[in-house]
Amino acid sequence: MKTDAQIPVAVPAAAAASVEGVTFTYHGADRPALRAVSFAQAAGETIGVMGASGAGKSTLAKCSNRIVPEFEDGDFHGAITIAGEPLEHLRVCDVAPKVGMVFQDFESQLFSTNVAHEVAFAMEQVGMDRAEMDRRIMPALEAVGLSGFEHRDPMSLSGGEKQRLAIASVLALRPSVIVLDEPTTDLDPEGRAEVFALIAKLRAEGLSLIVIEHESEELRAADRIIVLREGEVAADGLPAEVFARTELLTACGVRPPGLGRALELLGIDAQPKDVDEALEAILRKYPRLAKTLLEGSSDAPLKPPPTAAASKNPAFIGIENVSFSYADGPRVLDSIDLKVEAGEFLAIVGQNGSGKTTLAKHIVGLLQPATGRVTIDGKDRTQMRPAETARAVAYVFQNPDHQIFAATVEDEVAFGPRNFGLAEDEIRRRCDEALEAVGLQNERQSDPFLLSKGERQRLAVASVLVLRPRMLILDEPTTGLDHREQLRMMALVRDLNRAGIAIVIITHTPWLVAEYARRVVLMRKGAKIFDGGVREFFMQDELLRSSSFRAPEITELSRRFGTLALNIDEFVAWVKGRA
Amino acid sequence: MPIYLYIDRGTFVHRLHPTVKVFALFVMFWSVYWVDQPIALLPVGLVMLWIAQLTDSWPNFYRLRWLFGILVFTTTIAWMVFYRRGAVLVNIPVFHVSKLSLVFGFGRGIKLAELLAASVLFLSTTKIEEFTYGLQRMRVPYRVSFAISLSFRLVPLFIDSAVTIVDAQRLRGYDFNQGGPLERVRRYVPVVIPVFMGALRKANNMAMALEARGFGFSHEPTTFIEYPVTRTDIMAFVFLIGLGTMNFMFYWTGVGRIGPLK
Repeated sequence: MKTDAQIPVAVPAAAAASVEGVTFTYHGADRPALRAVSFAQAAGETIGVMGASGAGKSTLAKCSNRIVPEFEDGDFHGAITIAGEPLEHLRVCDVAPKVGMVFQDFESQLFSTNVAHEVAFAMEQVGMDRAEMDRRIMPALEAVGLSGFEHRDPMSLSGGEKQRLAIASVLALRPSVIVLDEPTTDLDPEGRAEVFALIAKLRAEGLSLIVIEHESEELRAADRIIVLREGEVAADGLPAEVFARTELLTACGVRPPGLGRALELLGIDAQPKDVDEALEAILRKYPRLAKTLLEGSSDAPLKPPPTAAASKNPAFIGIENVSFSYADGPRVLDSIDLKVEAGEFLAIVGQNGSGKTTLAKHIVGLLQPATGRVTIDGKDRTQMRPAETARAVAYVFQNPDHQIFAATVEDEVAFGPRNFGLAEDEIRRRCDEALEAVGLQNERQSDPFLLSKGERQRLAVASVLVLRPRMLILDEPTTGLDHREQLRMMALVRDLNRAGIAIVIITHTPWLVAEYARRVVLMRKGAKIFDGGVREFFMQDELLRSSSFRAPEITELSRRFGTLALNIDEFVAWVKGRA
Repeated sequence: MPIYLYIDRGTFVHRLHPTVKVFALFVMFWSVYWVDQPIALLPVGLVMLWIAQLTDSWPNFYRLRWLFGILVFTTTIAWMVFYRRGAVLVNIPVFHVSKLSLVFGFGRGIKLAELLAASVLFLSTTKIEEFTYGLQRMRVPYRVSFAISLSFRLVPLFIDSAVTIVDAQRLRGYDFNQGGPLERVRRYVPVVIPVFMGALRKANNMAMALEARGFGFSHEPTTFIEYPVTRTDIMAFVFLIGLGTMNFMFYWTGVGRIGPLK
């Protein structure tokens, strides 16, 4: 990505934005989504906004450009000014030149068939003349590293590129404030890295940014953090101050940065910005560890454990030399061999388009291999009836809304067993069991569409769990969930695995792999390039780098000390054992 | 699989002024409308074949080959039920198989195929923005023309989501192929509801994103892309007027007609 471009920026005012006593209640809601929220943003300041789902983050973002209350109906009180100008009585489109907004769903904010035209779109809407548009397009594209892409179709770009294009189109209008509402939620690690590198660059160039994000590590470089809880400001301060309040963060459904939490457990009062700072802080408190750092650990935890691929146990799922291409397309799977044993916990990782989901679809029978074969418990999958396959392997799609249709939670769960002709008594028994497993037993008669995203995700699990499969494949089960919901979802998955169900999880989230999986398969361009234990996986520096997959920071820190810890508790125990 | 029909080439057809392209689509529809006789549909058909060759649009026709085949075949068969003129050639219950009904049915099939072909050619050579611009120049309000062109972008997204939903329900043991035709339609409820809910959500997100980008700020937005009128546009315009007039004359003189329904 180019970094030398001059980013077009509005002339900064003393205060970029000011929010005073904003309270908003959605039409029909019984409590306000925002309560008396006040803060001022200095010109050039980057504010990170955090909080659990439903805390009011997106509502606050929408208030900043009048989507609330102009577009989303409700009761609004308070005042917002941008660059000294009150927004009251303005339409959303009138605010567009003052506040640029980038949404999470990148598919829904691109409207053109050509990258240059996409950047011009907002300028056309405000009636800018062609010569001025021409002057602004290239600098905006250069600023986001997309020069040379002018004639490409936006739909042909990767997720990260699409999101950068959305930012370019906002930059071209030179707004006073840019609001980014969870811009990386739907991106793979490479796309996330691209967007956060761009955000850092925009911040360095002096743009005023408001960034809504779940991952605290990504916001450590912000000038200020605001944490929302049930619509109110629960914390507002420097990142180091806010991230030090781990109890408050946890209560607000925010995951404290791993490094800071580890240091806190080691009795060190510091909020490191990166692994280097954490290392220095630990060495100051535990100088004896410097020896470990220089020479490497004597108990050699870095020795790779035996790989899962070498196991002699019989395969529950056998994938033998499977290749596949979509019609007229390139090869998506290339001679894949994979064995998954009963009761395993396997994570499949890799960039978007690497073939992870295509591989999973071969296991459940949604796709047929061009060459090779798939076996389930020793039987050729093509010889199995759908009911037999469904009882063996279940698949939970990334978006739970891709299957929910029934009027009640109970009917949604009962849909599968009814299709397989089970008796009503048996269906009721199984529904009870599945709903209890996912913690939705009290929502039996609820409308599934009114559940939270986390609850809908658990409902999707229940609706396949009810078929009592021996293996569960979950495609990005934590995407779009806040930290609390992520933990709850993964606790459920772990419990299912402990109950004997094999788990295959497709994910982009490093800490999730480190904390929960026991084996990892890394895919790249349709090929399996790694298959082994989790510790062994996180030792493959070159492989991780080339796949844009970063180990969790705590694992990186532990490696600097010559050991390999997969989570905070493991690392703290290791330090305390040697200090 | 590519979900859009536009094929980026530098031919003179691609470079035509958007208004001329929209006018060309109108003229093709007009020309086909007046003519029933298969032989009289030939000139328009030949023009379209020439444009398809020139613009390299064959991949799109290949993708839709089954649709073209089904359209011609089923229309020919269907009109043998309703068009009951001419001496019967073969006695088949319900059907009236005569030379006249065969020619009429085949002509209707070719008409529908030519209407489809005109649309395919238009979408193969016209970008969405050009379509919007062309409609605007023909006095269609900006909001309406933008909504029409946006729908072209949304349909493939909905199809994509419907395919995923069908997969999800199938994995829960749902059989879409049970029962008679009506029952089969009813069995798509578990697909239609999630698609509909998803479409509402997507449309809402898109509307917010549009307004956030200034949509509605001005009643007459400016355009970034310049569309100068060239001599080729004028020549194409004259040619289209000639084609439209010729086909109307086919109708007027009776050359293109077969006769009314009896």
